[in-house]
Amino acid sequence: MKTWRRSALAVILVLAALSLQCGKKEEVSEAPKEEAAPTTTYQPTGDEGAIAGVVNFTGQPPQRRRIQMDADPVCAQKNPNALSEEVIVNNGKLQNVFVYVKSGLEKYSFAVPAEEVVLDQNGCMYRPHVLGVMANQNVKIITSDPTNHNIHPTPKNNPEWNVNQPPGSDPIIRSFPRPEVMIPVKCNQHPWMRAYIGVLRHPFHAVSKEDGSFEIKGLPPGEYEIEAWHERYGAQVAKVTVGPKETKQIEFTYAAGQAYRPGSLRLMPALVLPCCEKGMGHASLSKR
Amino acid sequence: MEREVVELENQAGVEEPDPITSRSMSGPLLIASLALIGTLIWALYDEVYGRRPWKAMQREFVERYTAYLKRIKPRQAATEAALKQSPEYKKLEQDLMAARQAVAPRVREIDRELAEIERQLEAIRPVFQDARAKIGALTYEWEVATSERAKARKMRQIEEAKRGPFRVRLIAANGEGTNQEWRLTFDELQRRFLGLQERKAQLVSERARLLEPVAEIEKKMNQYLQDHLVGLDQKQIDGLLRKMETFKIELKQIHVADGDLVDRCISCHVGILEPLPLTEQIMGRKAFVSHPNPRLLRIHNPERFGCSPCHGGNGRATTSVVKAHGLNKHWLWPLYQPENYEAGCVQCHFRDRVLEGAEVFNLGRDLYELKGCVGCHRYEGYDRETDALAEVRKTIRQLNVERAENEREIRRTLRAADQATDDREARRLYALAESLRVKNSQIADRLEQLELQAKYLMQDQKKVGPNLKEIRMKLRKEWIPVWIENPHAFRPTTKMPRFRLTKEEVQAISAYLWQTALRDPVPAQPPGDPIRGRELFETRGCLACHAIGEGAQAIGGTFAANLSRVGEKVNYDYLVRWIHNPRERARPYCPNERRDIGPEDYAKKGLPFRFDLNHSKCPSCGSEMQVQQMTVMPSLRLSWQEARDIASFLMTQRRSGVSYPPAPFMDDPKLKARGAQLIRRYGCAGCHEISGFEEEPKIGTELTREGSKPLEQLDFGLLAREAKRQGWYNHKGFIEHKLRQPDIYDRGKLKAPEDRLRMPNPNLTEEEIRALTTFLLGSVNATLPPSYYYTPADQRKDIQEGWWIIKKYNCMGCHTILPGQRSVLSTLPRYQDPDWKDQLPPSLIGEGARVRPDWLARFLENPALSETNLERNGVREYLKVRMPTFFFSPNEIRILVRFFEALSAQAQPYIEPKLEPITETERALARQLFTSPAAPCLRCHMTGDPAHDQRATAPNFLIARERLKPGWTARWMIDPQAISPGTAMPSGLFRREGDRWVFAGPLPEAFRTYPGDHVDLLVRYMFQLTAEEQRRLLAATRLTARARPPSVSMASDRSRGRKGGT
Repeated sequence: MKTWRRSALAVILVLAALSLQCGKKEEVSEAPKEEAAPTTTYQPTGDEGAIAGVVNFTGQPPQRRRIQMDADPVCAQKNPNALSEEVIVNNGKLQNVFVYVKSGLEKYSFAVPAEEVVLDQNGCMYRPHVLGVMANQNVKIITSDPTNHNIHPTPKNNPEWNVNQPPGSDPIIRSFPRPEVMIPVKCNQHPWMRAYIGVLRHPFHAVSKEDGSFEIKGLPPGEYEIEAWHERYGAQVAKVTVGPKETKQIEFTYAAGQAYRPGSLRLMPALVLPCCEKGMGHASLSKR
Repeated sequence: MEREVVELENQAGVEEPDPITSRSMSGPLLIASLALIGTLIWALYDEVYGRRPWKAMQREFVERYTAYLKRIKPRQAATEAALKQSPEYKKLEQDLMAARQAVAPRVREIDRELAEIERQLEAIRPVFQDARAKIGALTYEWEVATSERAKARKMRQIEEAKRGPFRVRLIAANGEGTNQEWRLTFDELQRRFLGLQERKAQLVSERARLLEPVAEIEKKMNQYLQDHLVGLDQKQIDGLLRKMETFKIELKQIHVADGDLVDRCISCHVGILEPLPLTEQIMGRKAFVSHPNPRLLRIHNPERFGCSPCHGGNGRATTSVVKAHGLNKHWLWPLYQPENYEAGCVQCHFRDRVLEGAEVFNLGRDLYELKGCVGCHRYEGYDRETDALAEVRKTIRQLNVERAENEREIRRTLRAADQATDDREARRLYALAESLRVKNSQIADRLEQLELQAKYLMQDQKKVGPNLKEIRMKLRKEWIPVWIENPHAFRPTTKMPRFRLTKEEVQAISAYLWQTALRDPVPAQPPGDPIRGRELFETRGCLACHAIGEGAQAIGGTFAANLSRVGEKVNYDYLVRWIHNPRERARPYCPNERRDIGPEDYAKKGLPFRFDLNHSKCPSCGSEMQVQQMTVMPSLRLSWQEARDIASFLMTQRRSGVSYPPAPFMDDPKLKARGAQLIRRYGCAGCHEISGFEEEPKIGTELTREGSKPLEQLDFGLLAREAKRQGWYNHKGFIEHKLRQPDIYDRGKLKAPEDRLRMPNPNLTEEEIRALTTFLLGSVNATLPPSYYYTPADQRKDIQEGWWIIKKYNCMGCHTILPGQRSVLSTLPRYQDPDWKDQLPPSLIGEGARVRPDWLARFLENPALSETNLERNGVREYLKVRMPTFFFSPNEIRILVRFFEALSAQAQPYIEPKLEPITETERALARQLFTSPAAPCLRCHMTGDPAHDQRATAPNFLIARERLKPGWTARWMIDPQAISPGTAMPSGLFRREGDRWVFAGPLPEAFRTYPGDHVDLLVRYMFQLTAEEQRRLLAATRLTARARPPSVSMASDRSRGRKGGT
């Protein structure tokens, strides 16, 4: 009696378990999410503020060198007294510093300006030396020189290109699809030529003028990280909060000593000259 | 007593219960039948659903996919509509209208005529076909008629039938006009029918010709949509939706008859071949994704390759995920885990050293060689030179036997001929002997080649570790035992693995190595300039293979030794010699005599002690010797001063104040025998040259088929149970644990020291373990038919073979060879600077199309392209980085040249195309163009003027003719950025004008009337340029440059400023 009861019980249990199994729906993650909706384009509200300021320079600035343009007599003739533009300091103010909003604007998107930013090749120098654009905004490259140039940006995150521009030819119009600070631009035929293009996903940038001043207008009120970038002296960051219709003043200060060289190898913590140390010098070893 | 009676009565009174009627079985029966029904239901359920989980999967897939398609349809429609509004598309639409209108009148005419013809044909066709059949039948009867009379009768009948008349009723068109009726003979009928048909064909083809431009524009419109629409268009989406509507829930499978492969994976993975990229996010289930690498599927068409050959698993199983994925017990080929996916490549790609896109596979292959696995474990393909050498030596022996046999045969035949009875027989025998003699001379040709091969192959054999015969000359004595004891403590990333040695073992091994090492002197070197040495070290290209710094601080390649702390161990004088020429050996090794040959052996034969690749015969026995160090390190053709500077810099690479305990035991002769025993046991000679161990076999198991070793044969030691519990009792788990800790399977075992596992710890990162595991997991017995293997016999074979050499010498440390691949140098911080980018070695993509194979062979043999001026690059003298001399054997040069030619699909052998000779007028034109201020050529290209060449960034045109192929040169001039993105040469120098290329800048006056192609002109000028012509060019340029002396530009100032800087 007991045995069959037990087996019956087992069968029933199995059936019950089975029916439970049947009833159980496979759990699958529900309706796939759509791709995140793009942030809507920012509409000015009239509350926009601004950031203004100046870039100071302390210490003795390096002498601006004269650029030897003998490699191309046309350049030498047109621009006989060209000076290096790597570091330009006037009365303790640093020129050509790219100042831009590094973070704080993530929640907005901005319409790409229809007007082009002009990069002129004039006297075998780039005019301007430092410029900012929005991603996908057109850069119009023109040549005012009676010699051949090639425009060769060397970006890290954007596609690289290198295009020839003979004298008198049509402007080259190109854009950079991805934000990148900064893209060096060079001319392989005139190795002294150098420009830097800052590509941003918003239009808030400025380049310090001769008197070191800069101004970024039309900023939505908010908290921002502002970065200043200089080709020789590197980047500095400042944090600001811009209230409605407020113009916030900030200052950056670079010092003569803090050179920044991206191309260098930082290999050795300290250089121990082989001749000066006792015991393990190569001379003693080689005698062994 | 009374009580007993009552009890008895009672017993009698209670009726004995009937076992049948008194006990009801209905309860158990009910339960049993319920159980039976339940089982039946269960069985049915199991049959229909339980064992067919793919049904629910497919249903779910259809549901989800349909929903997704419906969701994206309006979005795609909107983009499509927007595209159709674009000016380009509108323009095409207008073009289409215009094209249609242009031909419309004629097309209408044709259509009208065609309609009329069709009307007539319709009326005639049945009548004509009837008539033809009837006459055909009569003709047949005439043919088979036997008597003349019958034939004549039939002929009459035929003629009568042909006369007809046949009546054709022509219905009036559109019901207007009157019906016509023609009465025709058969001939007339036939003529009319054929005439109509011919006219119809004419009209149809004319119509098609007229509409060609229209079709062309329609094609363009479609193309425009296809090019600009990301994703599918409406039609395609509708097609997919229809497919989902008619989707049949059924077992789906791929059957490959070749190899009898059945894979039912697509029964659940229904979306795997869908044209839309389906992700888990879209489909809500990982199983429903589309294949993430459709490119791979295009190469490996699933219809032919199935799924399981690459992925593993059990392709036939459909009852559960576990079974289908082969994860059940006793199934030998479980599905590869995602991190080991590329294991699936190995079986068919066993000949490939490098697979484009298979990063893990490539890394595994690299590590197997670099980490010295190959020193102990044989793996087919790796010991190419050793295997080939054995094969060549065998063939040489066979051919020698054959030759001797032939000699004997010749002698016998000649004797027989001499004594032959008749002339005819004698002539036959003499001819036979002669042919044998010729055959032997052919054998001699082959032997000559094979002996050369043997010589080359011997020099091409390399070892992973350095030559330990020279440690007395090279190393600090006390450092040796410290290193052997724990190499990772001194240098964490070293290739040298850590052996688990006792102090006594370390001492014995050090003692043996020290006492057997060569005692030859090393010339003393004056000290160099370490600052200059560092600059050279950073710029000559050392960092393409070597790194300096450990951990996150490491900069440079991982191909060769990390050089941090090298100053603590090495002798300066030896280091200078090594840097100057790493292949220089103290003494050559004679494999025949099994010893190192010294000056005394040469003196005995009255020979100077001189040995190199051209003097490689043993003075004693005349056999080939090992005359170079067995290292892949090349010579950078540095001057002695440069070698001293670099060595001086490297000597600074040490911690200050380090001391090593004295090691007097190394001179103890009693330890030597024990040391030899240990060196044999641990297989040191697998990676190093060691005196007395030159011909040692490999000590480890062969790993070519490791992945298919039965699991039971893998010795998990006492860990089997733990492994099962933790779920790593499989090949993957075994290999991973072994690589992480090679003695893990000795754990808990009591073993004599000589029985313990010998494999040393290679100190691998998790990424490296993953790559090696992947590679070994895929190293399986052949389970697929040979037709699956990637063993091409055409040019692709040259590519396969070339990769072994490319990897052997780390060409990719400096060069880009695969599109998208970055060389080690190009990732170094220095080369991120735009000026230094121009200092990178050239990309070799398209090298086979660029340079002539004969030139390439010459260049590879001697990259200085000069016998006297060796300390330079032969092509790009302005580069600070130097193309080294690798001492490639002609064998390797041939493989490399064929590799590059094959990569660019060049026909072999190369036959120089004939160029139209340049006329005087053309030369004057080209000269003008070259020297015009608008033309940039001579600004960057070397000219031979030292001051100019210093800042040049491109090769001299003078070597173009012997180096370049003209077709490539033209393509390069037109669009260099397409061939080598980022190159200093700009695109857009020429523009298309009609069917020719024209210089894009302002042209000299004389070009106004020149009708030819400017690119072609410049190529021909360049290929016919002489040194004299170049001087003329330069003189002309200087004139335009107003004779101002060239001086160093600012850019080179800047880079110079940087050199000393950090």
